[in-house]
Amino acid sequence: MRNSARIRCLILACGNPLRADDGVGPCLAAWAEERFRGEPDVRVIARQQWGPELAQEIAHAECVLFVDSSLQSRAGAVAAADIGPSPSVGNWTHHLGAAELLALSRQLYDSLPQRAILLTVGVSSMAMDEELSEAVRAAIPEARAQIERFVLSQRAALAASPLAQ
Amino acid sequence: MSQTITIDPVTRLEGHGKITIQLDGAGEVASAHFHVTQVRGFERFSEGRPFYEMPGLMARVCGICPVSHLIASAKACEAIMSVRIPPTAAQLRRMLNLAQMVQSHALSFFYLASPDLLLGMEADPAVRNVLGLAAANPALGRAGIGLRRFGQHIIELLGDKRVHPGWVVPGGVTEPLSAAKRDQILAMLPEAYANLALATDAYKQIAGQFKAEVEVFANFPSSYMSLVHEDDSIEFTDGTLRLVDAEGKTIEDGITANRFAEAIGEAVEPYSYTKFPYYKPLGYPQGCYRVGPLARLNIVKSMGTPKAEKELAEFKQLADGPVASSFYYHHARLVEMLYGLEKIEEILADPHILDKHVRATAGVNREEGAGHAEAPRGVLHHHYKVDEDGKITWANLVIATGQNNHAMNRGVMQAAKAYVQDGRFTEGGLNRIEAVVRTFDPCLSCSTHAFGQMPLAVEIVSAAGEVVDRVVRD
Repeated sequence: MRNSARIRCLILACGNPLRADDGVGPCLAAWAEERFRGEPDVRVIARQQWGPELAQEIAHAECVLFVDSSLQSRAGAVAAADIGPSPSVGNWTHHLGAAELLALSRQLYDSLPQRAILLTVGVSSMAMDEELSEAVRAAIPEARAQIERFVLSQRAALAASPLAQ
Repeated sequence: MSQTITIDPVTRLEGHGKITIQLDGAGEVASAHFHVTQVRGFERFSEGRPFYEMPGLMARVCGICPVSHLIASAKACEAIMSVRIPPTAAQLRRMLNLAQMVQSHALSFFYLASPDLLLGMEADPAVRNVLGLAAANPALGRAGIGLRRFGQHIIELLGDKRVHPGWVVPGGVTEPLSAAKRDQILAMLPEAYANLALATDAYKQIAGQFKAEVEVFANFPSSYMSLVHEDDSIEFTDGTLRLVDAEGKTIEDGITANRFAEAIGEAVEPYSYTKFPYYKPLGYPQGCYRVGPLARLNIVKSMGTPKAEKELAEFKQLADGPVASSFYYHHARLVEMLYGLEKIEEILADPHILDKHVRATAGVNREEGAGHAEAPRGVLHHHYKVDEDGKITWANLVIATGQNNHAMNRGVMQAAKAYVQDGRFTEGGLNRIEAVVRTFDPCLSCSTHAFGQMPLAVEIVSAAGEVVDRVVRD
């Protein structure tokens, strides 16, 4: 299984492309997969929901960028914020949030990434549709730019770190 | 004054359901039901589709056991085509189905059941989950993740996707196995064996603490049904069905997919969208039976692999005859996972497993066909009729969870009587009632289908129908 090699940047997207704007995560992941193709220090994973298995991937990453849609934000708003582990979990253990995944990674593997960011794109519709709304489509360039900046800045930071190999 | 207790939604299940418990005027349990509150509809919207699309369509019923639907559907299509698939394709499908069984059982045992088993039925609900499990026993948590990834990774290697692979098609599979993929799977096996050994040891250490639960967790005589291999060993992908009674005596053997509808009827109840299958000669509900890991281990004479054989012998020591308590579904899952690992290893050692001929082709040669396979939760049956152009005119799916529906309801009733007395109940008591349903690991999105969040609540309703108390989990 691909879990032994340490990944510098893990991009972990969530969403369902059949549920309109909820597909923005996988859409950005597909772009990132192409953008960083051939660059082994970056790994991109897209899932319809984040399950506990991903804790192992996170444990092997030096930095993680979670990419998700947000019903709480204005449609098309792109936001990025540091996120830390939180042990709170609801009754639904099939899918976890970014903070819960970080907590699980710490509990199971005694490992946390040096930095974790949650990037969200505000959405307007999660109806049955394969198309993104106009507002979300307009936000794609900004979201891509933030993903690219994150990866490049983390590379630079890690390279400058005394722990850098 | 009578009351109704509603547990809505029941948590840590695959899908959406609720439990209601009706109390009589004295506060004693008068009735209890497990309701499946979703509706599926796949049979209807498949009408008019070409039959060869059915495996891919039907796999979408479920994100946990799509492989079982793929296989049962493909076999129904092959009955329409009147073809026998190449032996290598049959072995590859068997491996795929076993990989799915391992990942699904791992999900059930580690993510859904273990919080109860490890932390206790009375543990704080805030920690009675996968994160609580990880905090209490990280090694067990890692083992669970490892086993689930093992199964998922095989599915991804063979079918290119972790969920809803399209590799199984009418006539066989689309691509042969490569030597590189075979070697990757073989390389994962030692870690999978170690993870399973850790889990089995942990279970055996704590199982003795649940004697009270064993007594009332759907612990009653019943019939059991599963596929069996022609040598009486366990079988997940081919073979024929055997129905045994509560003493383990065979009621009917050799039921083929084509004869399924002659033997099995489907009753309906007003409180559930899931049907209640039963053995026709015994009628409803006397003819209801249990399926899944407990049924399979109660029916088969052997596992056919050495390590699992030893575990089966130990399992059968739990009772003089069929093991009746559904609590032991958990134990049975561990035995089956071991079988899965051993059988996958055996299949990969087959000198023909890399053969290139993995698909047979044919058109419509019959206007009706049926197929079955063992899903993780029990036998799954697909039955289609087509017109002369091969378009589906009628379809019926009999899902494993439906076949356990009657037993789950009886189990809920039994547990409710044990844990609700004089109109009083505790959170731990209600959790035990939910845990009865969890032993079956029902897949409600398979047995029926809907979108949205799964709710859970417990309601107490007076004789006049007034809700006097309600516990809701979101």
